[in-house]
Parts: sequence; structure tokens; C-alpha cells
Amino acid sequence: MSVGYAELHCLSNFTFQRGASSARELFERAHQQGYQALAITDECTLAGIVRAWQAARETGLKLIVGSEVRVHDGPRLVLLVENLSGYQHLCRLITLARRRAKKGEYQLLREDFAGPLHGLLALWVPDEPLQAGPGLWLREVFGERLWLAVQLHRGADDQQRLQQLQGLAASLNLRAVACGDVHMHARGRRALQDCMSALRHHSTVAGAGQHLFANGERHLRPLAQLAELYPAHLLEATLEIARRCTFDLGQLRYQYPREVVPEGYTPTGWLRTLCERQVPWRWPGGIEPAVRQTLEHELALIAELGYESYFLTVYDIVHFARGQGILCQGRGSAANSVVCFVLGITELDPTRTHLLFERFLSRERDEPPDIDVDFEHERREEVLQYVFNRYGRHRAALTAVASTYHAAGAVRDIARVLGLPPDQINALADCCGRWTDRIPPPERLREAGFDPDSPLLHRVLTLTGELIGFPRHLSQHPGGFVISEQPLDTLVPVENAAMDERTVIQWDKDDLDMVGLLKVDILALGMLSALRRCFDLVRYHRGRELTIATLPPDDVPTYDMIGRADTVGVFQIESRAQMAMLPRLKPREFYDLVIEVAIVRPGPIQGDMVHPYLRRRNKQEQVTYPSDALKKVFERTLGVPLFQEQVMELAMVAADYTAGEADQLRRSMAAWKRHGGLEPHRERLTRGMLNNGYSVEFAERIFEQIKGFGSYGFPESHAASFALLTYASCWLKCHEPAIFACALINSWPMGFYSPDQILQDARRHRIQIRPVDVQHSQWDCSLEPVGGDELALRLGLRQVRGFRQDDALRLAQARAQRAFGDVADLCLRAGLDARARALLADAGALGALAGHRYQARWEVAAVQAQLPLFAGVEPPREAPVNLPVPSVGEDLFADYASVGTTLGPHPLSLLRRRLNGLGCRSSQALEGAEHGDAVSVAGLVTGRQRPGTASGVTFVTLEDEFGMVNVVVWRELAERQRRVLVGSQLLRVMGTLECADGVRHLIAKRLEDLSPLLHGLDVRSRDFR
Amino acid sequence: MLWACILLPQLALDSVLRGRDDPQAPLVLLSGPAQRRVLQAVNPAARALGLRAGQSLSTAQALASSFTCVEHDPAAVEQLQQLLAAWAYQFSSQVSLHYPRTVLLEVESSLGLFGPWPLFEARLRKELGELGLRHRIVLASNPVAARMLANAHDGLALNDAQATRAALAQMPVDRIGLPVEAATALSRMGLRDLGQVLGLPRDTLARRFAASVQVHLDRLLGLRPMALACYRPPDRFEARLELNFDVESHQALLFPLRRLIADLAAFLASRDGGVQRFTLHLEHARGVATPVVVGLLAAEREAGMLFELARGRLEQLSLPAPVRSVRLVADDLPAFVPQPGELFNARPQQQQGWEQLRERLRARLGDESVRAVQAFADHRPECAWQAAGGAPPLARAPGGPPRPGWLLAEPQALAPEGLRLLAGPERIESGWWDGGDVRRDYYLVETPAGQRGWAYRPLGEGGPLWLQGWFA
Repeated sequence: MSVGYAELHCLSNFTFQRGASSARELFERAHQQGYQALAITDECTLAGIVRAWQAARETGLKLIVGSEVRVHDGPRLVLLVENLSGYQHLCRLITLARRRAKKGEYQLLREDFAGPLHGLLALWVPDEPLQAGPGLWLREVFGERLWLAVQLHRGADDQQRLQQLQGLAASLNLRAVACGDVHMHARGRRALQDCMSALRHHSTVAGAGQHLFANGERHLRPLAQLAELYPAHLLEATLEIARRCTFDLGQLRYQYPREVVPEGYTPTGWLRTLCERQVPWRWPGGIEPAVRQTLEHELALIAELGYESYFLTVYDIVHFARGQGILCQGRGSAANSVVCFVLGITELDPTRTHLLFERFLSRERDEPPDIDVDFEHERREEVLQYVFNRYGRHRAALTAVASTYHAAGAVRDIARVLGLPPDQINALADCCGRWTDRIPPPERLREAGFDPDSPLLHRVLTLTGELIGFPRHLSQHPGGFVISEQPLDTLVPVENAAMDERTVIQWDKDDLDMVGLLKVDILALGMLSALRRCFDLVRYHRGRELTIATLPPDDVPTYDMIGRADTVGVFQIESRAQMAMLPRLKPREFYDLVIEVAIVRPGPIQGDMVHPYLRRRNKQEQVTYPSDALKKVFERTLGVPLFQEQVMELAMVAADYTAGEADQLRRSMAAWKRHGGLEPHRERLTRGMLNNGYSVEFAERIFEQIKGFGSYGFPESHAASFALLTYASCWLKCHEPAIFACALINSWPMGFYSPDQILQDARRHRIQIRPVDVQHSQWDCSLEPVGGDELALRLGLRQVRGFRQDDALRLAQARAQRAFGDVADLCLRAGLDARARALLADAGALGALAGHRYQARWEVAAVQAQLPLFAGVEPPREAPVNLPVPSVGEDLFADYASVGTTLGPHPLSLLRRRLNGLGCRSSQALEGAEHGDAVSVAGLVTGRQRPGTASGVTFVTLEDEFGMVNVVVWRELAERQRRVLVGSQLLRVMGTLECADGVRHLIAKRLEDLSPLLHGLDVRSRDFR
Repeated sequence: MLWACILLPQLALDSVLRGRDDPQAPLVLLSGPAQRRVLQAVNPAARALGLRAGQSLSTAQALASSFTCVEHDPAAVEQLQQLLAAWAYQFSSQVSLHYPRTVLLEVESSLGLFGPWPLFEARLRKELGELGLRHRIVLASNPVAARMLANAHDGLALNDAQATRAALAQMPVDRIGLPVEAATALSRMGLRDLGQVLGLPRDTLARRFAASVQVHLDRLLGLRPMALACYRPPDRFEARLELNFDVESHQALLFPLRRLIADLAAFLASRDGGVQRFTLHLEHARGVATPVVVGLLAAEREAGMLFELARGRLEQLSLPAPVRSVRLVADDLPAFVPQPGELFNARPQQQQGWEQLRERLRARLGDESVRAVQAFADHRPECAWQAAGGAPPLARAPGGPPRPGWLLAEPQALAPEGLRLLAGPERIESGWWDGGDVRRDYYLVETPAGQRGWAYRPLGEGGPLWLQGWFA
């Protein structure tokens, strides 16, 4: 009869490269074995503790929070949390040790134990050879809260070791306790654990030698075996300690930062005061009664749920950004509310949408609201620093992201420790593809020349399968902030991020949700930078003040433009797939844009929701609803589920889910591909729907659609926020195309298109583009009046590849004093070094001073800094030399090499006659062709995409002097002509034209590489683009 | 003077292909770090598959699947280059490896022997072809010009400075060995060939370009000499001693041997090196000479010791025929690292050093009989010891539980009678990665005779204990 046991020393896979089992596996196993408690004691980290807490609740086995640490130049300890104050001390110790070291490491010093440590128990794991010294120190520090850990793993002589350890304990007057030093849940993980040890020591398994454990005993062993090894009183001691540890993570209490509410106000009162103060700003003509009513309703709901401080915190950040002129836009479940609109957190007037606040902030779903705020991508850092400064580093930190092993990374690491050569490791990783969590199928491996049945590969694949999904390292979330009233390190340990001046808490987003911590996402969005530049330029050139919120809504020319798919450069609906959808969907109002943004996503595409929606919208199919109740849910999307929110509502309306359960469904939807767990919902949904009188077929179809949604399902709240930016960018492109192009290029890199493509699009819209010129260009691209309202776009020096901003600023300053007289004047007054001069000459920017680029390069090379002694002495006159004049082809190549675009003829216009000779049509001539015509076109390959949703189809975009041609290459052809497809710069496609709903594709039948024609333009230069 | 440039554009690839029986099969050379493997060179068959030098391996694998990958080995290429220099040395005393993948040789002085040039060139090409090396050959009036012209020509023969200059004028500016910046700058000024550059006033160029550019151009035109490091054949020791009469006994060979070895030692001292291996060829009146190889674990140069070793080897030998002459050849001449002489050496003079003893044992018993033992970190006892072939120092066994000093070649079942288990079980589970996974419980046992042994029983099995080793 065994006495029972609690494991007090156990690592999960959050002790990277040591722990070989997940918390869930550990808890399930410990539960099966009849353990009475399980401590998770990851090495100097609590990153995995929330997951352990979840696993503990699911299995009903008690969790003891703890951590294994090695004191620098000192003993190894297991610290166990007895109560809340012990937890806080542990967080503090881990924070101290982690903040002292670089990312991923820690250094815990003896002096760290000088502070109070009550509530923290310690197990001393003595090193070989046994010495009393560390025990004496620890006894001083921990007093009666110290035990000596006896760990027996069937080593050379366990009996002798047991006696020695007990002797040591007795000599120090310490109690001894049995411990397992558990690294895996079951013996079967021995191989994976060996691999991790080898990884940790940067060696192969075969070479790791004594770094590997001699056997697989470090797992959760059956009680009977433990009873064989340990005397009963050592096992009993584990239970005694377990009983003492009463701390539960549920006891943590988070407090919102207090400074967001001024003295003398309650949070409720202050939120109301702010809203009232801002109402006239949003509604100068007075607020409509209906909106007022919504506002009251929202404020009441916020007060009821106690979320005032959350809104006030977000307001505080947004308020700062506005003060700095940084454009921002909130999105997320709570963002599209009147409160957020009034506070300026979002620019989206909720009266423009059908969205209801309560849908996002629900009474039953007791979960913190979620607002993400996007800021201009170039200025987000200012916002981050503001948050750090306002709340202090001890109260604000970024959240972590636990990066997990995907298949490629896992197979790499496993293959490496099994000693495979680098080329084979790469080949294996390539077989996996990116981001998948599945080991590659045998046929894929055979294709790559591997034998999946060989024992070695079998080992590699089995271990890879075990490793996939394991956490790999903690990195920082791009913008998730946690801010609290109390110091953060009393809630969760804080550590250094890879970037300087950044600190990161050890929990990720899901962990925070579980524990109820406030999180604000401060994200970066390139389009906001571009829009802010647009507004600045509009103010400067037009004297007009525009904001996202005050742009004229429902503008017909703008929607006409969108319907033509004339959307190069705008937000979200600029990709090829989006552009193909626009002429079919023909958005006419704001909500159409919300749908457009959400519909061209892997979720709706895989769930087969796109075509039903289109058919219904184009009145080719009747709009029906399974029931009146569901009509309310699906009316706005014509009966087709498109948004996450609709799926949740459906579950509530049709299958009697509560709000909380519906939220569970949402989470499972996001995670089922990796973890499964959607099956219970299938039963539950089907049963509920049958009860409410829906058919089995309907329930099945809905379930399949939910699965298709998977992790890609797009929430309506985000789509609405995005659609607003889409509308703003479209309006600007439609009414201020020069300003829009200028702002886009100055915000680059961002978006889908290169500056060259944006400029070509602008030229097709008859915008005059002017070349880079040292007499006129700024660093940024700028606009120059042409006459009338027209503006010409002057390329900025930023377009000159490799040119530095500092040089550009000095140049502009020197020019502001007086225009440059000649090349020497420019170089000397602007302080340009040889490199900068050469770049300007090659870019053709010296045209006004020195003639063509060859001449310019010749002249800048002769400029020498004047010594003070010779000031005023004319440099020696040179006889003029005869340099060749660049040909059109040479200029073209030089333009592309230097400024990435050309203002001269498009390369294809130079080749047009030869292409005509080959029977190739231009994209312009293609406009006259009809559906089903056999045509041949040639163009520069500007895009090759093989989306995962399109089953092996490659989409190629060809560009010529008139525009773009979209080519579809089916898998069979792509494989047959792979080399041509992958390797061509100038591609000729012969195929059939397909036209439907204003969308035109060329279905390729044969491909031909015409790149040599390009090289014929200029034999010297091979570095075209 | 006239210089011939032999450019070997595919030297690295050829160095691999010449050793393969299927040079026509697609093959690529790889280089670069593991994360970014790049095709260094491709053979024509691989080129036909669309593979190109500079491609990443993953691109190449996307294009084709059936090609052989060989790791680029710079050392092998270097060795081949040395071999070529030695080959060229027979034609000229001025051979230079100044440029990579290039052998330059002065040929004017050799034309009398091997010429005229067309004949000479044909011979060079024939022999290069036999060596399996693709090549280009250019003759010009100075070595720099010959090298640069070879970038664009093959078979060009320019017999004087004027013709050389005319040919150079046609060369593109980026093919004449100028620094990249200078070549780029020139081409960005619209100047494509050297002729255009030479047409410009010298002072305008001097104002715009670094002095080194002018120097290079002058060397190219032969206006300024270039100091080339010339190839020198490697050091090697060979000496031969004719005996006055046919010798049939070892004893009589010792005297000439001592002389030869003294010469060798003197040679070694003069070059401050040692010898790792040398061969005595005992030449007979008829038939093949009998070789006696003397190998050492470390480089040595002390005459007495070398003699002792050679004598040891010689004495094992039974002479197949009378010896008429002795030749000593030593190729393996690494640097000699002397023993630090200790000021207060406690070791009596007459005692032999460990190294000498080891060499004598090896000489007497044969190389196979004297082995170093190496400890190897592996939990499996049978893998923890390995005989070391070369001369690594005896690694100390890492600390850990006591292990027997003598392992049995094969474990033996132990009779259970009278056996005492002193300690255990110690569990060892390891070795899954090479298919030799063991899972055993080990015990320290004592036989009735009082011998202590180390024995195991496979996990989860009954049956006897298996003895794996004895404690000394």
C-alpha cells in the first residue's frame, strides 16, 4: 500500500531544450498515476504556468506553482509557492535574474535572497560531491521552509546515495523529501529529451555523450516504483509540502492604472465627463437622439461591467498620439462604439454601420474588451516610448509571444542533432513548406530523394512529430502592452526582449485572457502614414483640412472607381484577388466595402461562401433564410455567413449557446487546425439546431463552413475599421491622385506595390512625373503646380538607391541659400562625398548642371575639396573630352538600376516592334479581344503568386507599357514549364482569354522566355532590376 | 619576354570531374553556409538542366531533381594548382601562380627547346587535356596583359608589345582587372573599352582616379614591370647510396643506413623541420626494390632515434635478394616541435622517454599491435572505449561511476551459483539514435572466486546476468 505522492520538481516544455512534455501531458499522466499534486517548476520562468493552470483545472489535479533555479556560483534549488506573497516574491526573483542577463538567459545572485521570501518554500538539490556549505547558507535564508531533495534515478548505487543524502540532511538538521527531477511525462519521450539535450549543447545526439541522461527515469513514475526506491517518510514529506502550498493563480487581482482618472473623479464620472466634453467636436450640429441613446446605453453597460478604466487607458494613449499629430485608428471588439468614436479612439462613425456595441461587449461573457489601435508605422515608436515613460517600466511591458515549432523548424533541429548533413537538412525542411504543422507526406519525401522507410528518416519524422507545437522561445509581441497599477513583477515575471529598451512579460495573449489582465495592442500600419501625408499635402496645396472622419461619405465617383478595380495603392482592396472581385461585387456603399474587405480571405474562400454571396448579390439566386430568427443574423450578408460574429450569433440563436459558450466556439474555431477540439461543437451544434427545427443537412453545412473559417475567419469589427481606411484611401486616389501617389511613395516600404508600379499607375492617370533633379528635389517626393489645379509629382532624392537622407538634407539647405552654379559648387557646398556624387550622377539628377549622366559622372569625379590655402584659386581648366552619349536603352537600364523606375519609354515600348513581329499583343490591344480568343502577350513579370487557397494555380502578373495582364497558370503547365515560369523576366504567354463580370484573365497554354530580348537592349548590363 | 597565360576557368569543377567516371552526368559544386547553400559551379550537363552558378540550392532543386552535389573543396583545388605549377615548371623556370586559377609562364626562353609557339601551345593543350582540365591559353608581351586577355580570348598569340596593346584596346573595362569601383566608374562615364580610356588625356584620368588605377594600366601595357612571385618546387629529401658489394645481411646494411640518416638529419636541421615518415628502398640487382617504410607518430629529427627506428624495421625484414644500393626518400616533412628541455630534469639520462619507448614498441611489434585507447562519451559501455588509429593523446576518461578496466569483446552469461550482488541496479538506457538502443540494469557482482565483475540483465527480461567486464 503506497502512501501517495506529489511530484515537486517537474519541468514542462517551457523550459526550452530541457522539458520534453507539455503541461497537459504531464497533468494527464500524473492524474492517471494517482499523484496527489504536481508542481511545474520550469527553470527560472513562469511562461508556461498559465497553461499548466489550465491543464490542472481540466484534470482536476492540484497545481503547485514553482521554479527551478541555479544560483550563480551556488546551489540548485526548486522554489515552491506557498501563498500569494510567495508568488510575488518568486516573480520578483525571476524578474531580477532575467533582467540582469541577456534575452533567454538569467543570473540569480545570492544577494537576491536577502529580501523577504516568506511564502516561498525551497528544495535544495545538492551537487556532486556532496557538501554542507550551500545547505548552511540556504538554512539561514529559508529556515524551516527548506528541504533537501532526494532524487534517485537508478544511478550507479542508489542505496548508497540515499544514505549519503539522508546523512547530509541529518547533519544539517534538515528534512529530506523525495523528488523526481521530471523532464518528461513518460519514458517514451526519452529520445526527444536526448535530442533536446543535444540541441542545448549544440551537438549531435551521438556526440552529446555525458550530456545525455543515462536512462529514461526522469518521467512521472508509477507510485509502486517510487515506493520501491524511496522510504515512506520521504514520500509522505511530498504530501505535507503539497498541503502547505495553497496558492492558486485565480487569486491574482489585476488593477487598472489609476492616473487615467484625475483626482476627485470616479472612473465612471470621468468617462462620462470626457464623452460629454467631446460630443460637440464630433457633432458640431448637436447629437441625434438615437445616437445619444446609444451612448447612454454604452456608458451604462461599461459601468455595469466595470471597464471604464480600460477605455480611459486607451483614450490616454490615443489622446497623446493626436497631440503629436500621429494618425491612429482603433479596431476590435469594443472599438466600433459611440464611446470610442466620441473619444477619438476610432474614426468610424458607428451610425454608418449596422454594428451594435453590445455584440462586442457582452454582459454574459465576462471577458475584458479588446481594442487594437493602429498607428502610423513610422511613428509608432513614439507612442511606445510614451507608454513606457508615463507608466514606468515597472508597470508597463510588452506581452510575449511563445513561438512554437512548425514542421520545418522542428525537422531542422531534429535532423541536425541526428547528424544529417546540412544539404539534407535543408531539403527536408523544404519538404515541409512554411507554417505547416504536419510532417511531410511520404510521397513528397520520395520526390525529394528521401526514403521515408529508412530507419533514420523514420526516427527523424517521429521525433519531428513530437516536437511540432512545442514552444521554442519567447519573443515580444509587436505591440501588445500590459499596463497595471501595481508593479508588474508582482503579477508575472518580466524579462528583457531582444531589442534594447524593451521589456517583456512572460505571458502571451491567451495567458493574459485567462488571468484577466488588461492588454492594449499598439500596432503599426503603413496606410496610416500615407493618409497622414495625404492630409498634410492637401492642407499645404489645397488649403483644405481633411480627416478620416470628415471625408465626404458615399462619394459616387469614388465608388465608380472602385467598381472599375482602379485601386492600385489603396488599402486592402489592392491585391490581385481583391481587384478581381471588385467588378463582380461593385461596392456602392460603405457596408459593401466591409464585406469586400472580409470576403477575399482564406476563410470565406475555403468555406465556399464567396460564390453564393456573389450569386445572391447579382440576383442570380434567391436570398433565403433557414428561419426568421436567422434572418436577423444573416440579412446584412444576404444569408451567407461571412463574419466570425455571425457564426457566434448563429450558435446562440439556432443552437441555444450562451454568449460564453459562443465565445468558446470562436476560440476553438481559431485553434482547431492545430489542436482539434471542434468535434464536441459538431454534436452540440447539430443537437441544438435539430431541437430548434433545423434540418440535419443544414446543420452539417453550417458546421463545414465553420471549419472552413478556421483560424482565418475575419471579425466584422475589424473589417469595418479597415473598410474605413479603404474608403479614405480610395477617396484620395479618386480626387487627389497626385497627392495620393506622392504620399504612398514617401511612406514606402508599405503595401502591395513598388514605387515604380505606383508611378506607372499615376502616369496612366495622366499625372506628370518629373525626374530627380538636384535643383528641385527634396528628400521626399514632392508636388509642383503645373497650372490650374494640376500638380506634378517631383521624384525625391529618397528614390536614388543608396543615397542617404543626411546628404539630401544638407543639399536642400545649401540650395535654399542659393541655387547651385555648377557641379563643383553643389558637391562642395552640400558636402557630398565621392559616393553620394556618383549616385547623383548615375541617377541623372545632375542634368541641369552637367548634362547627361556620363558627362555628370565624369565631372563629379574631378571635383576635389579645396584646401583653405587655395581658396579662391580657380581649379585648373581642363580641355573638354568627348564622352559617348547614353542611348535610350542605356538610360533605361541606368534609370531602373538607380531610381527603380524610368520616366523615359517603358522597356516594352522599345521592344514593341519586335514583339509585334512575334505576334504578341499589348495589354491595350487585349482590351479589344473577347472571351475565348486565343491570344499571345508578352510582358515583364512583376508578380508570381501561388496562394495556398488556389490548389496549385500560379497567378502571374505581366506588365507592359500600357498596363497589366493577369495570367493564370494551371499546375500541369507550371510543372511542365517550371523553368520558364520561374526564371523569366520577360515572358510571353500564349493562351485563351477569359472574361466574366468585367474580370479578364489569360489562361496560359504555353510559356516562352523572352528575357534575352531585354539583354539585347543593353549587353553590358545584366542586373536589370 | 613573352608570357603565356593558362587560365583554368573551371578548375574547381574539373578537379572533381577528373576523378569521376561519369563526367557527363549533371553535377554541381556547392559552397556557402548551411542556411544558404549556393551552386558554385555547374558542369555542362547540369547547365542543360537550367542550373547556373550562383543559384541557391533550393532554387536548383526546384528546377531539377537528378543531379549530383559535391562540396567545393578549396584545399583540393589548391593542391591541383600546385601540381599544375610543378607540371609547368618543366617548361619554364619562371612560373607564377599569382592569379587564382591561372598558371603564368615565361616562354620566350623556352621556345628554343619546345618551340616554335604553335607547337609549344599544342603540347600544352594536349597535356592539359590529358589532365582533364579545360583551359584557355593566351600569349602576350607581359604577364598582366596575358592574364587579362585570357578573360576574353583563347588561342590569341601576340608576339610584341604593339600587338598586345592593340588587343588590349578592344577589351571591355570591366574585364581588365581594374578595381571594381574604378571599372564601374568608367562604365558609368560611358567608357566601355580600354581603347576609349587610353584615348583620354592622362592628366584627366589621374585627377579622377586613384594612383593604383594608373599603375595597373601601365603594367597592363608593359610600361611598368610587375614583380611576380615565382613558383619553387617543394622540399623533399632523396639520397642514394651505392654499396660496394651485394649485401645479404642486415648487419652490413647498418653502416650505410647510419650515413643516409645522418644526411637526412642534417637536411632536416637545415630547414628546421622534422620527418614523419620516410622510405628506404633496398635496390637489388634485378627486380623491384624492397621498400621499408618507417612511420612515426610525431615528427622527429634526432639522428640516433631515427636510426634506431629504421634499424628496428629493417631487422624484421627478411631480405628477398642481395641489396646493391639503398635510397632514402622523405616526402613527409612537417614542422618539428621540440620537446621543452627542462632545467631540472628529474628523469635519469639513461631512461627512455615514453615517446621513444612507444616508437620502439611499434617498430618491434608492428603498427597493428600498439594502439592508443580513447575514451568516448557514451553511456553504453561497449561504445565508451575506442581504439584510436592516429596519434591523439590519450584522453582521460571523464569522471563518473566506476567502470571496469577490462571489457569483454562479447558479454558472457554468468552462472548464478555463488554470485554476490554488491551494488545496483544501475539503469542504462541509451543509443536509440544508431539502432543500437540498449536498456539494461547493471550490477556490481563478485564471483565465488572473489573476482569483481560488471554484469547486466536486459530490462524487462528474466534470465541470466551477462558479464561485460572485470574490475582489475
